[in-house]
Amino acid sequence: MSHERIMAEAERIKALGEASESVAPYPVNQATIGTWMDAMGYDNERFRGGEAPPSMAQVWTMPGLGRKRPPEDPLSRMTEFLTNEGYTAVLGTNCEQTYERYLRVGEQPRVTSALDSVVGPKNTAMGEGYFVTSRNTWYVDHPDGQSEVVATMLFRVLKFIPRERA
Amino acid sequence: MTPLDLRVGDSLPEWSLPLTPTTIVSTAIATRDWQDVHHDRDIAQAAGSKDIFMNILTSNGLVERYVVDALGHDTELKGIAIRLGAPAYPYDTLTFRGEVTAVDDGIATISVVGSVSLGDHVTGTVKVVAR
Repeated sequence: MSHERIMAEAERIKALGEASESVAPYPVNQATIGTWMDAMGYDNERFRGGEAPPSMAQVWTMPGLGRKRPPEDPLSRMTEFLTNEGYTAVLGTNCEQTYERYLRVGEQPRVTSALDSVVGPKNTAMGEGYFVTSRNTWYVDHPDGQSEVVATMLFRVLKFIPRERA
Repeated sequence: MTPLDLRVGDSLPEWSLPLTPTTIVSTAIATRDWQDVHHDRDIAQAAGSKDIFMNILTSNGLVERYVVDALGHDTELKGIAIRLGAPAYPYDTLTFRGEVTAVDDGIATISVVGSVSLGDHVTGTVKVVAR
């Protein structure tokens, strides 16, 4: 039955832990910070002096145009599995970020990804679906070999069977 | 950095941002999010959407901006937790409201709602260092 297959796959992927990792393609830099502030219509002298806005943590490790996340990415694996089980549509529902400290220009963070939970099936306004939550952790690696956690994120999507349109 | 003197019940000034196609596209690209539904209206409409719509990294960024502009540019953020609701389309207006809902152990929790004509686009909490 579909539900048992889905939950077994969820347990398998969860057990892999921080199964994938991506390094920021470019280091934290002032041009990208400035472009982000311009687009947001935001100006803050603090972010023209070497620090990066905290919610940009995720920006640095976005894969970029024409690049994909690693195939072993736990969220991608779980959502692909649900797509194949008929839960074809996706909707981002929750995003919870914590900041240990602000990144600085020149640092090159990396992010790991793990599957946190899969909950369902639930009847939602969108249709029947599963809530899939992934956990990202951003690290800065130091020359002495220490890895410092700088930010975390729990990200939840609803993978659902779209309702027939009236 | 001076810790903020915040009290439960304090309100943040309301802030409204008119949304244009440029707002949606420039913020999507500035957050390095090249998903086509955030910049290509034909593709967004083919996928069942009314128009291109704001990406989640921008909703986060605007929540950050709203709170820091209201509380002061040296405000230290510890976290942003948001729930996504109605999509934010071009030609709509995104209006933010906020209120201090807790101050514990040097951390204040600001409850934030960003609404559009279709309802709440984003609801959540921001944690900042406080006195």
